[in-house]
Amino acid sequence: MLRRVEALGVLIAAVAAIAVQSPVANAQTAGPAAWQSDLKPIAPADWNYDFAAHLLERAGFGGTPDEIQALAKMTPAQAVARLVRFEGADASHLPPFDHSGIRDPGLEPFPASRPAVTDQAKQTGEALGIQVKPEGSRRLQPVVNEFFYWLRASALETNRVCYWWANRMLTSPQPLREKMALFWHGHFAVNEAKVRDYRKLLDQLELFQNQGTGNFRDLMVAVAQDPAMLTFLDAGVNVKGAANENFAREIMEMFTMGVGHYTEKDIREAARAFTGWNYVDLKFVVNQDQHDDDEKTFLGKTGRFDGVNLIDIILQQPATADFIAGKIYRYFVREDLSPELQKQLGSVLRDHDYQIAPLLETIFLSRDFYSPASVGTEIKGPVELAVSTFRKLGLENVPGVPDFNLATGALGQRLFAPPTVAGWAGGKSWITPGLLLERANFGRDILFPDINFLPPDRFAADPEIRHVADRIRQGMDISAATKPDGKSGDLAESNMAADRDEDFNTRYGSFRGWQMAIERVKPIPRATAQINLSRMVLDQHLKDTTQVVDYMIHRFMRVPPGEEARQKMIAFLTKELGTTDISVAQTYLEDPLRLVLHLIMSQPEYQLG
Amino acid sequence: MKNHFSFSAASRRDLLRLGLYGVGVSAAALPMPLFAQAAAQLAGQAKSSGKILVVLELSGGNDGLNTLVPYGDDAYYHHRPNIGIPRKEVRPIDDHFGFSRGMAGFERLYKSGKLAIVHGCGYENPSFSHFTSMAYWHTAAPNSGEQYGWVGRLADAMAPEAPPNFLVNIDTRQSLAVRSRRHVPVVFDDPNKFSQEVFYDEREALPSANVNSQIANPSRRFLLDTAQSAKQASALVREAWSKYHSPVDYGVAGLDLPKVAALIDAGMPTRLYYTAYRNNAFDTHVFQNDTHRRLLTYASDAVAAFLQDLERIGRADDVVVMVFSEFGRRVPENVNLGTDHGAANLMFVAGKQVKGGQYGTIPSLSKLDAGDNLVFTTDFRRVYATMIAGWLGLKDTRPLLNGDFQPFDMFQRA
Repeated sequence: MLRRVEALGVLIAAVAAIAVQSPVANAQTAGPAAWQSDLKPIAPADWNYDFAAHLLERAGFGGTPDEIQALAKMTPAQAVARLVRFEGADASHLPPFDHSGIRDPGLEPFPASRPAVTDQAKQTGEALGIQVKPEGSRRLQPVVNEFFYWLRASALETNRVCYWWANRMLTSPQPLREKMALFWHGHFAVNEAKVRDYRKLLDQLELFQNQGTGNFRDLMVAVAQDPAMLTFLDAGVNVKGAANENFAREIMEMFTMGVGHYTEKDIREAARAFTGWNYVDLKFVVNQDQHDDDEKTFLGKTGRFDGVNLIDIILQQPATADFIAGKIYRYFVREDLSPELQKQLGSVLRDHDYQIAPLLETIFLSRDFYSPASVGTEIKGPVELAVSTFRKLGLENVPGVPDFNLATGALGQRLFAPPTVAGWAGGKSWITPGLLLERANFGRDILFPDINFLPPDRFAADPEIRHVADRIRQGMDISAATKPDGKSGDLAESNMAADRDEDFNTRYGSFRGWQMAIERVKPIPRATAQINLSRMVLDQHLKDTTQVVDYMIHRFMRVPPGEEARQKMIAFLTKELGTTDISVAQTYLEDPLRLVLHLIMSQPEYQLG
Repeated sequence: MKNHFSFSAASRRDLLRLGLYGVGVSAAALPMPLFAQAAAQLAGQAKSSGKILVVLELSGGNDGLNTLVPYGDDAYYHHRPNIGIPRKEVRPIDDHFGFSRGMAGFERLYKSGKLAIVHGCGYENPSFSHFTSMAYWHTAAPNSGEQYGWVGRLADAMAPEAPPNFLVNIDTRQSLAVRSRRHVPVVFDDPNKFSQEVFYDEREALPSANVNSQIANPSRRFLLDTAQSAKQASALVREAWSKYHSPVDYGVAGLDLPKVAALIDAGMPTRLYYTAYRNNAFDTHVFQNDTHRRLLTYASDAVAAFLQDLERIGRADDVVVMVFSEFGRRVPENVNLGTDHGAANLMFVAGKQVKGGQYGTIPSLSKLDAGDNLVFTTDFRRVYATMIAGWLGLKDTRPLLNGDFQPFDMFQRA
C-alpha cells in the first residue's frame, strides 16, 4: 500500500514536470475590466475563438470546437446576426411534434378535480363523455378511470413534448430560438400539473419558439389570450361583478412591471378589464356577457378598457421596458446589473418599439458582454447544463437513458413544471450542496448508463399504483387490492379517507388510468448516449495524458479547474492507462477517458458558462 | 453568547460518529480520552442546548379561516355562503372554533395540549404578492430590503463560528429564510441522492473542494464553498436516512418531516430545520374546498406523525415545529368558490414542550380592512421572538428581528 502511494507521488511529480506550462491557464480570455457596463459594440479586431465560444455558450447551448471555430471566422456582427436573426441557419428540416393521439371526445372542459368529476357524474349521470352504470357496485368507476387516464396521459405526452423540445435545443441550427423559448417559459411560467393538457402547453411553446425574439407587446397579448395561461391563472372564471385578481396581478407583477409600480386598486380595476376572457378547448374567446365593459381607472388613465387596452397602458410605463430588458439581460449575461445599465437596456427596448431581437444584438455585441464580470460567471441551469453537455459531446439525439425530464427535474428544472408562477429563480439558486453532487451524478449517468434503468413512461414511479396492480393480478377484489399497507399508530386521516365512497375506488382508478395511458402514449426512445471519446481524442493527434486532459478541459469547460484538480486528473488518467503515451494506449482509451470526463463534470467549475 | 458548539472539529466528527454508528463501535475505534470527552459533550449538549426548531412553511397562502373555522361567528357564514364549512362538519375545539374536517391530527395535538394556535398574525401594510410577502416572512423584515433570512441570521447568532450541518433546509432549492452570512445551509431534497456516486478508482482524483479566497470570479467562489459544504454533510445525511425505519404513519404526503426525524434520530448537530409544503400549494383561488381540505389533511397528518415519531425516538422534549404561511386569504369568498390573497392569518406551534392553547387576539370578522381582509392583531415577529428567546434561549431578539417583539410564554420549561 505504502509503495503504491509512493509510486503515485513520483508519478505526479513526473507528470507535473512534463506539464511545465498549461495551455489551459490562459484559455478563458475576456476583455478588459473597463468594459463592464459599457454597451458600445466590440470591434472586429477584438473578436477571437474564446469570444465566439462565450457567445455560443450564452446565445445558444455551447458547441463543439468546430462550431465555435465557424463563428470565430465571422465578424462579431455576422456571428450575432447568425444567432439572433438566424441568418444562414436553416432549421426547416426539424420535425414537428409527433402526437400519440390520446384525446377522447368528452374530455373538454376537464373538471378541476376528481371530486368535481364524480359530483358531476352523480348529478348528471355522465362525466368526461362516460355514462354512469345503471346498476351494480362502483357505478362511477369508468368515469374515475377516464379521469385518471387523461391526467396520466397528458402528463406522459407532455414528457414527450419535453423530449421533442430538448432535441431541438440539441440539434437546431437556431439554438437561440430554443434558448429564448426557455426564457419565456420561465417568464410566463405555467405547469402541466395545473394545465393538465399537453396540447395547450405545446401551443404555448410553439408561440415562444415562433415569436420569442419578435415584439414583446404581441407576445404579451398572445400569452394573455393563451389557453394554457388562462387555465393556469384561473382567468377563465374571471367574470363581471366578481373579478378574480390572480390573472391581473400576475400580469403586472411577474410579466411586465414588477412590484412597486401599481396599487392594489390598479389590480382590481385591471381584473375587471380581463373579465370574460376565456377559452374553449384550444381557442381564446371573450364571453361578452361576462365582460365588464364599464369605465375603469388604471394607472391614472380612465376609459372602458379591455384587456388589450390594459396591456398597452402597461407597456407605456417606463418600468415595463426596464423590467423586461433587465430580466433578459440577467438570463443571458449576469445576475448583477446596475440600475443605470438596466435603464439603458430599457431604453434600447423602448427605442425599438419592444422588439426583442435588437435588444439581444445590442447585448451580445456589447463590450459589457465580453467583460470579465460577464465571462465565465453564469451558473448554468439544469436544462442548459444537460443540453450543452450533449452538444459538446457531439450527440445527435437526447439520450433516453437517463430520462431527460427526471434528470433535469432532479437538478431543479423540469420543463413544464416550474416551481411557482415566478418560474425558476436561476443564478445561485440552481446550486445547493445536494444539487451540486447531483450534477456530477448526472454526468455519470450519461457516461455510464444505469443498466437497471426503468423507463418512467412505462414503469409507474408511484409505489401505490404498482402495489394495486400486483394485487389485482393476484386475483384480489378491488377493496382488498387497494387497502393501504399496515402502519402503526393512528392511521392518517388521508389514508382513511381514500376508500370511503362505494360508488368508485380512487386507488383503483389511479392504477387503471395509468394502465390505459401507457397503452396509448408512444414510448420515448431509450437509446443511451452514443459517445466515442477515443475517436475525439485520436482525431486530435494528442501525444500524452497531459495534452489529453488539457484538450478535454478546454473542450468541456469554460472556466478551467484549479491546478491541483488538473494535476489530479492527469495523474489519474496516466494511472488508468498505465502510461502517459497515448499511442501505446489507443486501443483501450474509452473507459479511462470517460472517467476523466466524469471527473471534469464533477468539478465545481463545470457548472459555469 | 453561550449554549453554542464549542468543541473542535475533530471531536465534533467523533460526536457525530457516536450518534450515527452507536457508542460501541466508535468507542473501539477511538482513543479513550477523546471518546470520553466526546461522550461528555454529547451528554452536555443534550441537556443544555439540544433544542431544535423546525419551521414548516405552507406555501401559497393558507386559508386560515377554513383551517380553524370560526363556526361560532355568523359573520363567517355571511362572508362565505358557499365555501364556509358548516358547523356540523368541523372538529370543534371550543364553542367558537373547530378544525377543518380533515385535520384529525391537529385536533388530537390540540386536545392533548401540544398545539399552540396564534391568532391574527401579520404585519403593517401587507403585501398581497406571494413572492413579496413570502420574502417578508423569510427575512422577518417587511417593507424593507434584507438579504439574509431570519433563520440564517438566527444560525449566525447561535453559532457564529458556523460549525457544519447546523442549518438544514430540505427542498429542491435554498429558501431565502435560511440565507446566512456565515453558514452554508445543508440543502438537499432526496437523501438517497445526496451523494456523489463515484467509482472506486476515481476516489483519489475527485476535486478536494479547497476554497481559495483569492478567486476573483464570485460564481466560482460560491461553487467551491458549496462543494465543501456538500462534502461535509452528504455522508451523514445518507447514513441517517438509510438507518431510519419508522413505523409511524405520516399519511399520503408526509412532507419532509420524516427526513427531519431521521436526521434528529441520527444525532445530527442540526439545530434549525426549514421545510415547506411546496409549490404554492395553498393558493386556492378556485373550487377550493376539496383541494384545501386535502392539503390540510396532509399537513396535519404529517405534523402529528412527526411528534409521534419524536416520541418514539426519545427526542420529543427537544423539538418544536412552527407552522406559517405567507398570508391568509380574503375573508369573503370569490365567485369561483375560492378565495383571493389576504392578510392576517394563524400560526401554529406544535411540540411536547409547548403549552397548548390559543394565543393573541382573535381578529374581527366584521371590522375588516378596506380590502376585506383581516386586520392583524399579532406581529408575526412576536412568534419568531417566541422561538428565538422562549425556545432556543437567546436573550436578546432585537438585533435579529430589528425591533422589539415581546415573546409569548409558550413553553413548559424555560
